[in-house]
Amino acid sequence: MKRKHFFLLFIISAISIPASAQINSSTYGMMEARYLGPGTMSGRITDIAGVNNDGGKTIYVGTAGGGIWKSNNAGFSFKPIFDKYVQSIGALAIDQKNPKTIYAGTGESNMRNTVSIGNGMYKSTDGGDNWTKIGLDSTEHISKVLIDPSNSSVIYVSAPGPLWSDSKHRGLYKSNDAGKTWEKILYINEKAGVADVEMDPQNTNVLYATTWEFRRLPYAFNSGGNGSGIYKSTDAGKTWKELTNGLPKKPFGRVAIALAPSAPQNLWAIVESENTGLYISSDGGATWKEQSATANIRSRPFYFSTLEVDPKDAKRVYRPAFSFAYSNDGGYSFAEASNEGGWIHSDHHALWINPNNTNILYLGTDGGVYYSLDKGVNWKFVNNLPVGQFYHVNTDDQQPYRVYGGLQDNGSWVAPSSIAGGVMNGDWKSIYGGDGFWVQPDPENPQYAYAEYQGGNMARVHITEGTSINIKPQAVSGDDPLRFNWNTPLLAGAKNPKNLYTAAQYLYKSTNKGASWEKISPDLTTNDKKKQEQEKSGGLSMDVTSAENHCTIFTIAESPLDENLIWVGTDDGNVQYTADGGKTWNNVTKNVTAAGIPAGAWVSSIEPSAFDNKTVYASFENHMYGDHNTYAAVSKDGGATWTRFKSEEFTGFAHKIKEDILSKNLIFLGTEMGLFASVNGGQNWFRMKLNLPWYALVRDIHIQRQTGDLLLATHGRGIIVIQDISPMRKINESVAAEPVVMLNDQPMGLTNGKYGGSFPNASGDWNGGTANTIPFIEYYLKERANSIQLEVTDMNGKLLQKLTASNRKGYNRSLWNQRMMPPKIAKGGNQTEQAAFSALQVLPGNYLLKLKVNGKEYVKQIQMIHDASNEFFTEKDRLLQYEKGMELFAMNEDLAVLVDSVLLYQGELQKKIDAQTSKKAKSVLQKQWDAVEKFRLTLVPPVVKGIADLKRLRNEIGDLYAAIVSQEAAPGNLQIQKISALQTALKKAKADFATLRRPTK
Amino acid sequence: MRSIKFLFFLATACLSFSISFAQSADEIISKYVSAIGGADNWKKVNTVVMSGSMSMQGTEISLVRTVAHNKGFKNEISVMGMSGYQILTPTEGWNFMPFNGQTAPEAMTADDVKEGQNDLDAQGAVVDYVAKGHSAEYLGKEEVDGTECHKVKFTYKNGKNETMFFDPASYYLIKSIAVQKANDQEVEITTTFSNYEKLAEGVVVAKSISLPLGPGVNADFTVSKIEINKTIDPAVFTPAK
Repeated sequence: MKRKHFFLLFIISAISIPASAQINSSTYGMMEARYLGPGTMSGRITDIAGVNNDGGKTIYVGTAGGGIWKSNNAGFSFKPIFDKYVQSIGALAIDQKNPKTIYAGTGESNMRNTVSIGNGMYKSTDGGDNWTKIGLDSTEHISKVLIDPSNSSVIYVSAPGPLWSDSKHRGLYKSNDAGKTWEKILYINEKAGVADVEMDPQNTNVLYATTWEFRRLPYAFNSGGNGSGIYKSTDAGKTWKELTNGLPKKPFGRVAIALAPSAPQNLWAIVESENTGLYISSDGGATWKEQSATANIRSRPFYFSTLEVDPKDAKRVYRPAFSFAYSNDGGYSFAEASNEGGWIHSDHHALWINPNNTNILYLGTDGGVYYSLDKGVNWKFVNNLPVGQFYHVNTDDQQPYRVYGGLQDNGSWVAPSSIAGGVMNGDWKSIYGGDGFWVQPDPENPQYAYAEYQGGNMARVHITEGTSINIKPQAVSGDDPLRFNWNTPLLAGAKNPKNLYTAAQYLYKSTNKGASWEKISPDLTTNDKKKQEQEKSGGLSMDVTSAENHCTIFTIAESPLDENLIWVGTDDGNVQYTADGGKTWNNVTKNVTAAGIPAGAWVSSIEPSAFDNKTVYASFENHMYGDHNTYAAVSKDGGATWTRFKSEEFTGFAHKIKEDILSKNLIFLGTEMGLFASVNGGQNWFRMKLNLPWYALVRDIHIQRQTGDLLLATHGRGIIVIQDISPMRKINESVAAEPVVMLNDQPMGLTNGKYGGSFPNASGDWNGGTANTIPFIEYYLKERANSIQLEVTDMNGKLLQKLTASNRKGYNRSLWNQRMMPPKIAKGGNQTEQAAFSALQVLPGNYLLKLKVNGKEYVKQIQMIHDASNEFFTEKDRLLQYEKGMELFAMNEDLAVLVDSVLLYQGELQKKIDAQTSKKAKSVLQKQWDAVEKFRLTLVPPVVKGIADLKRLRNEIGDLYAAIVSQEAAPGNLQIQKISALQTALKKAKADFATLRRPTK
Repeated sequence: MRSIKFLFFLATACLSFSISFAQSADEIISKYVSAIGGADNWKKVNTVVMSGSMSMQGTEISLVRTVAHNKGFKNEISVMGMSGYQILTPTEGWNFMPFNGQTAPEAMTADDVKEGQNDLDAQGAVVDYVAKGHSAEYLGKEEVDGTECHKVKFTYKNGKNETMFFDPASYYLIKSIAVQKANDQEVEITTTFSNYEKLAEGVVVAKSISLPLGPGVNADFTVSKIEINKTIDPAVFTPAK
């Protein structure tokens, strides 16, 4: 029955779903990215804002590295609406008087070691469809945006400002003209910005702001200083007074402040200080009293800065932090949320309370969004926001290959790259805890992988059993204490995958799966002791998590050509290599800095060439010293001299440079703000747009060996797969200069395709889709075509199928199902038949592609070959399938002709009936018509009300035909026997009709 | 039900090619109207009957669209000898999809009738759009399929939005993103247009209309015949009993 709805299902899916030869992203624009997810483990959410008066339907979610997502249905589904802009979002605000107007402050303010940056304020006046940049470009981090509810033109923006450097671009900013111009109305100094701001909704001249002095260095963090404080203005920001009465002794660190909208004299502040705790004022901040100081209230004030009060109930106070706590007594005591609706991810940063139904809450955590219908007691996970923050991505060689990666805050994961029905949440498996980074599949045993959590805590993991063996190297006699990076390298050799590498300040190699390690280097870092005082990190609140570990090895790369040639890069700027498997080391750092790479820049990746062992690529990043420039370079003489890659296109500090595995001229560069590519060995670069976020945080790039798929580990959009980059290998500058190029130059395997699914996303998960498994017909157009046609014919020119053909400038592709045209089906009934949409697959052999572009025809011969990998479908099977399929094809068409004849005859009879005046003669004719009609309804089903799977000759022939031609198998014995029976039935039907229409005597 | 909405969309998409419809948006639209034959020619259009087909994996699906200016439109889709239709008039609308057992037309909701009213303009919403109560906003340039296009947000009198992308060389509309309301939800419908041809009446229309369904897969409608100002029996816009 389901098959019969094929047509309608197809249609349904439709809803739910002057030029130069200069090469750029649009040249390859029809290549598309697939967002694998996961949705089951999302990523850090930085703000949530909802429209107050539309029934709670419209919700915007800001993320740490995945842009802004909008839901029109209270969170049941989302779509990204900020894909052309910087992806780190600090704060969102909706003008509730004009709810299509939205402000986005970019650059989150959860100032962890891996926090990204923004480039100012954006505004949309059409619900997020289009955005305009409106200033504050250099603030880098924005914590809150407030709109005066009594005057939509008045906007306040709190900017903590740059994390890694002194800057004047911080403080509290105000616009009186809806974002056209800005004035800084509260400023302390170049080290202290504004962390929080609140407005009295009943008297919008009253503002509260908290200032914050903070700073990160590559090897330390400080929260706190004399620049921190709490301030109040009663004249809309013209003048400010610091609040101190009852507050702890300064210095302060970060302060979160909240007021009760229903009773705005009531204020709450979590004050980081030597006596961090919750302080409450009931007189508009004139006096304060210390109250609750539970661990959740005090935990990591620099990271948990959210404090909210119910819009209607001044006693209901929410503290989303390490866990979710709520108070019913104005903050004197707190209770914790229940896990009855499922585990609630820890680490909370955003809370939206629907002001018209304050039972409804949306919570943003480090693992995604949750909603509550009972004021935060129970929570349900929103399972379709794929904004996870991966550090690295890897694959194995299985078919379909599996994808591995580690997520910020959220452990290590594996998923199939494709699976029937699409890669959904349940297909992702968590294999190791903590913060995930590198995951290396065991090249010899697919049951195992190597995974880790922060600070070099690594294990060999049994994927399906969930067991693990600790393999972390240990310091031995003569070693300094080991210094592992937050994101410790853990990877197999590119030449010899049996070599497993990891590193602290020393490089370690194992050839027995981590059971034992050999230290194969001295300390390869600068070993600067001043940068090794991590136990003092945090400022007023100690925060020692290995995030600030420094003078460590960050990148390791074994040459794909020589396992003894190993390159190493450190987080303090050293580039070293060994050509003898670690016996001797060569420090080429000076050569790197001679090329314009800043001394001390973090060596984020090294890529020894697979084509020439003297060629090596490297990326560097210096953002921890306030330098966000893009640094990447190549050496073609084994590291003696380096040339820096430069491009106007580059944005963001660089994480990964990757050379293609087949084309030495194809190079990719992933940065904090985009993916870039060069098809001429780095001479020219372009931003890869496709359907990617243009400023995606690309942390790692991997090319799958068998498929040529490009995989991106993004820090905010999960794993992204760009299937088969062969167009980028084929379309080089000379190809691009041609007006039309048909690109299929390899034999194509005959296949029905894989990974279909019956129930599209029944659980509402994020669905990461599947790979296309039928090869595309591919062509290049130098210019957009006004008219285009694409046909497949046999070698004699007989049309097999007309294809849908795109006409875009650049790379185009069309999907041919490798079949001819379906048979004509007998008319009748009101049910669709699968046979009407089922065609025979062509046989192995040569065929012609005919592409007509603006009237000019281009012809390309293609070869279709039998896929011998399927042992259950031999070439002999294929020939038998074709033979029997053709018999049934002919029977379908014979029956259609017969039914047409019947209908014609019935029409003639009807005319006679209508024309006949003799009642008796009319009756005789009518009986004849009725007899024919009875006969016709043995051939085809009647028109029915409702759904009916009625079996008539058409269905019998059609169903058997569709079954045989749609499978990758020889027809079964009973199927073949049934063909004979149906042939007999068809023959009899023809005879019966001949008898029926024989003139009566 | 979704298939019905698809047809509803088709109606919009197919009409858009003929009507698609303040450097300012006003200038862009003015150049577009000139490119498609000029306002004078379009103002002479009272009826449009288009016939075309779509090939779905080799199976032909035929489509006939009939529009009488501000009086009615009908979309007929036929496959396997069965025909379904959608009818809209200024006050009523019906859907009939017999492919899955429906035996009688179903009335459209009042919201759907209201939403579809723009489609009754056989001369194109862009022709005299200001006088008709529509508005347009220029949003700068944006790349569409390799072509840097003019981007215009067109807002219909009834509040419906459509973002239009015009080829700066020809000023033809090559892509539109219409925001369609369905079941109180907004759905974006993306359509691309090509194969523009001038008709005897002086108007220029796109004869290929494509809806991307996925990588390498489009629903492509090829218009084979267009009749302008053919007499149309008003009964066409009445559902069969």
